[in-house]
Amino acid sequence: MSNNNLFNILKKELRELFRDRKSLAMMLVIPIFIPLLIIGMSALFESQVSKDVKEYNKIGFSYELTEEEEELAKNMNIDVVTGNEEELKQKYDNGEIYLYVTKEDNKYILNTGTNDNDTYAQNLVQSYFEAYKQYLQTNYLATNNINPDEVLNIITVEENIFEEDNYFANYIKNYAFLFIIMAITVSATYPATDTTAGEKERGTLETLLTFPIKSKDIIVGKFLGVSISSIITGLISLVLAVISLVITKDMFSIYEGIDIMFSPISLVFSVVVIIAYSFFISGLCIAIASTSKTFKEAQSALTPLTFISFFPGMIAFMVGVEASPILSIIPFINFTVIFTDISNGNINILNIALMIISTIVYITIVLKVIINQYKSEKVLFSR
Amino acid sequence: MIKVNNLKKKFIRYKNKKEKEEFYADNGISFEANEGEIIGILGPNGAGKTTLLRMIAGILEPTEGEVLFDGLTYKKNEIEIKQNIAYLSGNTKLYDTLSCYELLKMCADIYGVEEKKAEERIKEISKILNMDSFLYNKIGNLSTGQTQRVNIARCLVHNPKYYILDEATTGLDIISSQIILDFMKEEKKNNKTILYSTHYMEEAENICDRVIMINKGIIIKQGTPKEIREETKTTNLRDAFFTMIGGALDE
Repeated sequence: MSNNNLFNILKKELRELFRDRKSLAMMLVIPIFIPLLIIGMSALFESQVSKDVKEYNKIGFSYELTEEEEELAKNMNIDVVTGNEEELKQKYDNGEIYLYVTKEDNKYILNTGTNDNDTYAQNLVQSYFEAYKQYLQTNYLATNNINPDEVLNIITVEENIFEEDNYFANYIKNYAFLFIIMAITVSATYPATDTTAGEKERGTLETLLTFPIKSKDIIVGKFLGVSISSIITGLISLVLAVISLVITKDMFSIYEGIDIMFSPISLVFSVVVIIAYSFFISGLCIAIASTSKTFKEAQSALTPLTFISFFPGMIAFMVGVEASPILSIIPFINFTVIFTDISNGNINILNIALMIISTIVYITIVLKVIINQYKSEKVLFSR
Repeated sequence: MIKVNNLKKKFIRYKNKKEKEEFYADNGISFEANEGEIIGILGPNGAGKTTLLRMIAGILEPTEGEVLFDGLTYKKNEIEIKQNIAYLSGNTKLYDTLSCYELLKMCADIYGVEEKKAEERIKEISKILNMDSFLYNKIGNLSTGQTQRVNIARCLVHNPKYYILDEATTGLDIISSQIILDFMKEEKKNNKTILYSTHYMEEAENICDRVIMINKGIIIKQGTPKEIREETKTTNLRDAFFTMIGGALDE
């Protein structure tokens, strides 16, 4: 009988959920932002990396360049603008050049600002002077019968960048997951509000309480209904994230030769994290919303949760926090930190197990709190 | 039989922003209701009728006292008792997104009515309450009168022994409230026990076998309408009520 009633309540909750346009919109529309986020961020990175040199290569020189200097500047795509210091300052202020070089004996001074194009111009001119310095050193050594290779290339440095450590791929995958977490939270808040405060406001809660059903079954039925909605949002978001990564890989040159995809095992554990988080946040949303008297009050009470779900993970990601057994049991942070690990291919079973166990403990506590709330007249009948 | 023993319910209210006080919405209510009886619970707003019926329906827990349904108490037999109760109040709302059929089927499932019996019962009730034309329509699209019929159908689907109706006719038009009064008369014939609260004294006078008059949480009089009229030497329950409270209503 008890299991049947739990099923009946769940059936009623799901029916209401799937027939309510707002709930459906929350569940299905929010994940659409994931592809926009991934494609948008990829486009942003692409524009940063592949910035056209012509956008920042107008450089002023307050002195006459030698033939060698002119040749080098031409090879480095520097568009040389000459003039005295005052004229160059004027041109810089007018945005005609992005940097100008003045000279005092052997000292070269780069005059520029801090905006985007200025920074790119600064890097370009620094490379130019590195190359020019090397040219002068080579000439000097050759004049003095010293093999420049023996002095200048006394050591060599090579870069071997692993695919998994690709900055852009990790950045985008981690932010995509943070957004999935936020999407799940937003998706849970509406049905949680509707099934608790909404039911109170509409006057259907009284009907429900007269049924021969234990409060435990009512709460668990509602909890499962909200959780299913959140899981659907999470899974759609993950699928869209994977599809978006496949598309962006071919669209943007920054991912050339890099494997930005989730491995099958990472995907399986990502689903585990999504399910665990959906259960956790659904319980929390119902607990908070059920203390509210009206739909509006519940929505106000739940708004901070959206930020709380996002910021600890974002800060952990920015600071570069790695998953540990302790962090695996701290709510909110554990889901994002473990997912960052998973998306980077580091699957630590102990951390994942601790996250699952701690989530079960938190959900049990939260459900007990809600069941007690549903015995309180203050919560059920106050207006 | 329903036996209400010394039922009390204490609430806390605020006198001003800082000070609060305890008060009894119901303070020692006792009565019995037998099979085939319609008992009217009468009193003005704030008299304690809704709190009393909510305690009897098992929605609110009494501060003191108990309610027995054929000797069973909520403490030990909550589910068993609730399976034999139908509760309908003026505030009772239904799920707008469900169709009438889906709601009735859900209620039948919750009350453990067998699949085949439930189908038959829904068809039968739909015919009695003239619901065939909108049985598969969503409740949100129905008129007030149609919604009230669905509400009554919801109460009938599990064939309960006891009906608890809290101001079920309040705010309804004359046709909708007549549907409820007819339904009560019909169920009385089926030997069901009906507790019915209202502040429409004339309505109660016509339909109730006995009435219990409540004011400020205590019973001020109970008996048949005729007995009360005779004792108070009045011609109707409204005058009888005012005679008993001395003509002053303190809300």
